[in-house]
Amino acid sequence: MSSSIVKKKILRDWPLYFFILPSLALIFVFQYYPVANGFYHSVFEWGGGEAKRFTGWENYRRAFSDVTFLNSFKVIGLLLVFNLIKMWPSIIMAVLIHRLKSDRWQYVYRVLLVVPMIVPGLVGLFIWKFLLDPNIGGLNALIEATGLKSVLVSLDNFFGWGVFFTDIPIAWLGQPDLILPTLFIWGFPWIGMFGVLIYLAGLQAIGTEVYEAADLDGIGPIQKFFYIELPLILTQIRLSLILMVMGTLGGFGFQLLMLNEGGGPGGRGMVPGLWIYNRSFVAGEFGYACALGIILGVIILGLTYINNRYIRVDK
Amino acid sequence: MPSTSPTAAKASAPRTSRGRQHDWPKHIILLGLIAIELFPLYMMFQVSFKDTSTFLQQPWLPLPISEWNWGNWAFGIKLIAPYLANTVFVATCTTFGTFFFALLGAYFFARAKLPGKEFLWVLFLILLIMPGVGTFVPVFMLLKSMHLLNTLSALILLGVAGGQVFNVFILRHFIEDLPKDLFEAAEMDGASHFQRMVNIVIPMAAPIIGTLSIFSFMGGWNDFMMPLIILRDQELFTLGVGLIYLEGEYVKPWGQIMATYFISSIPLIIILLFTMKFFVRSFSAGAVKG
Repeated sequence: MSSSIVKKKILRDWPLYFFILPSLALIFVFQYYPVANGFYHSVFEWGGGEAKRFTGWENYRRAFSDVTFLNSFKVIGLLLVFNLIKMWPSIIMAVLIHRLKSDRWQYVYRVLLVVPMIVPGLVGLFIWKFLLDPNIGGLNALIEATGLKSVLVSLDNFFGWGVFFTDIPIAWLGQPDLILPTLFIWGFPWIGMFGVLIYLAGLQAIGTEVYEAADLDGIGPIQKFFYIELPLILTQIRLSLILMVMGTLGGFGFQLLMLNEGGGPGGRGMVPGLWIYNRSFVAGEFGYACALGIILGVIILGLTYINNRYIRVDK
Repeated sequence: MPSTSPTAAKASAPRTSRGRQHDWPKHIILLGLIAIELFPLYMMFQVSFKDTSTFLQQPWLPLPISEWNWGNWAFGIKLIAPYLANTVFVATCTTFGTFFFALLGAYFFARAKLPGKEFLWVLFLILLIMPGVGTFVPVFMLLKSMHLLNTLSALILLGVAGGQVFNVFILRHFIEDLPKDLFEAAEMDGASHFQRMVNIVIPMAAPIIGTLSIFSFMGGWNDFMMPLIILRDQELFTLGVGLIYLEGEYVKPWGQIMATYFISSIPLIIILLFTMKFFVRSFSAGAVKG
C-alpha cells in the first residue's frame, strides 16, 4: 500500500524525463548512430554514394593483410613509448615548483605556466614545424652553432645511418629515417601545462609535516620523490596516462599537419587514424575505412577496459 | 583562529630557515624550462614585425621599434578577423549549448528517482570509455544527409553532442553533493524542477561550470579536424582551417604568418587576463579530480 504511494509520488515527477531527452537525443544521433552506421557500412564496398556492394567480411580480411595498416600499429606502439617518456618532465617540473619554499614564487611559476596556453594548439604546432625547417629553422642553427652537427656526422659515419651529412642541412621532416626521431624531439622539453597544473593540485595535498618527518629520518630528495610525492599524485598520473593512451591511439591530426595524408616521406609516420582518413578522403574507399574504424575502436575499447580493470582511477 | 596561526608560523619558519640557498638550482631549471616554453611566443612576436628580407638577415633578434613593420599586422587582421569571428561564434554557442543541455541531463541523473534512470546512466557511461575514433566517416555522411555539410551549425551540434557525456558525468556528482535540504525547502515552496535548477543548482555550481566552460571553449577554439572535414567555403572557415590553408602556401612570408598567428592568440589572451586568477586557482580547487 505504502509502496504504491511512494511509486505514485515518484511517477508524479515524470516531466523530468524531458530534462534528459535533449542530451540523450544528441548522443544517440551523433555518437551511437555513427558507430552502428559505421559497422553497417563496413561490410560493403562503398564509395560514399548511393551505390554499394555487399562483400561480407571481405573488408576485415583485407585489413588484417593490409601492410600499411599493420605497420601503423608499430608506429603507434613506438609513439606510446615516446609519450610515456614525455610524461616525466611535467611530473618533475610540478615537483620542483612544489618544493620551492616561497609561496610567491610558486604562484609566479604557475602564472608563467598558463601564459603559453594562449598560443592556439595549431599555432604551436606550426611554430615547431618552422623551427624544424632545414634552412631557416632554429634547431639546425642551434646544432650548427654548438658544433653538435659534427658530432652527429661522425656518429653517422661510425654507425652508417646515412642521415647526417656535413654540408647538407638536416631535413628533419624530409628524411624518412628521421621522421620517428623527429616525432620524439618534437615538443621538447615536453612540458604539458595542463599536466603540471593538475599534478601541482595533487601535490598540495601533502602537508609540511610529512616533509619534516622525512627530514628527521634523513631522507634525500630523490627518495622523497619516490616515497612521498609520486605516490600522492598517482591518481593524477593515471588520469593523464589514460588520456594520453586514448589520444595517441586515436589521434592523427598532428601527423596529418606535420607530415601529410601519406604519413610523410616513406609513410614512416603513418598511424591508424591517419590511414582511415587517407582511405576515406584520399582513396574514397569509405566502406573499407569504416571497417578500419571499427577495428581501431574495438582495440581502444579493449585497452581502456584493461586500463580500468588493472590501473584503477580512484575518484 | 589563534590556534592555527602559531602552527602556521612554526611550520613555515623551519621551511624558510632550511636554507633558501638550496632553492637556486631549482629556479635555474624551472626558468630554463619556462624560457624554452616561451620561446615560440617570443619568435611569434618579434618575427611578426619583419618583412622577408630583414627576417632572412636576422631571424633571431628583435628589430628596434622604429623599424617595426606594422603592415604584417594589417595583413594579418584583414586575413584572420573573419575566421576569428566564426571561431568565437562557434566556440561560444558550443559552450552555451553544451552546458544548457548538460545541466538538464545532470539534474535528471542527480535528482530524479524515475524508472529507467540506471539504464540511461549506463548508456552515458559506455560513451565515457568508448572512443569516438574512426567514426568520422559515418558522421560526415550523417551531416551530408542532414544537409549540414559546410555549415557552422554542424560544428556547434557536434561540439554540443560531444560535450554531453563528460560534463553530465562531472555535474551529476556535483549536484548530488549539494545539500538535500535546499531542494526539499524549494519543493515545499512549490518550486518546479526547472526553477530549482535555475535558483539552486546554477548559482552553487557556478565555479565548476566556469572551469568546465573554459575547457569547453578552449576545445572548440583549438579544434581543426572536424572543421577541416566539414567546411568548404572560405567565408565559413574557423581559425584552425584558416591557419592550415595559410601554412600550406608554397612561398611563406614569415612576418605576415607570424603576425597572423599572434593575432589569433589575442582572444585567448583577453580571456586569460580576465580568468587568470580563477584559472590558476581552479586547478588547485580539485575541480579536475571529478
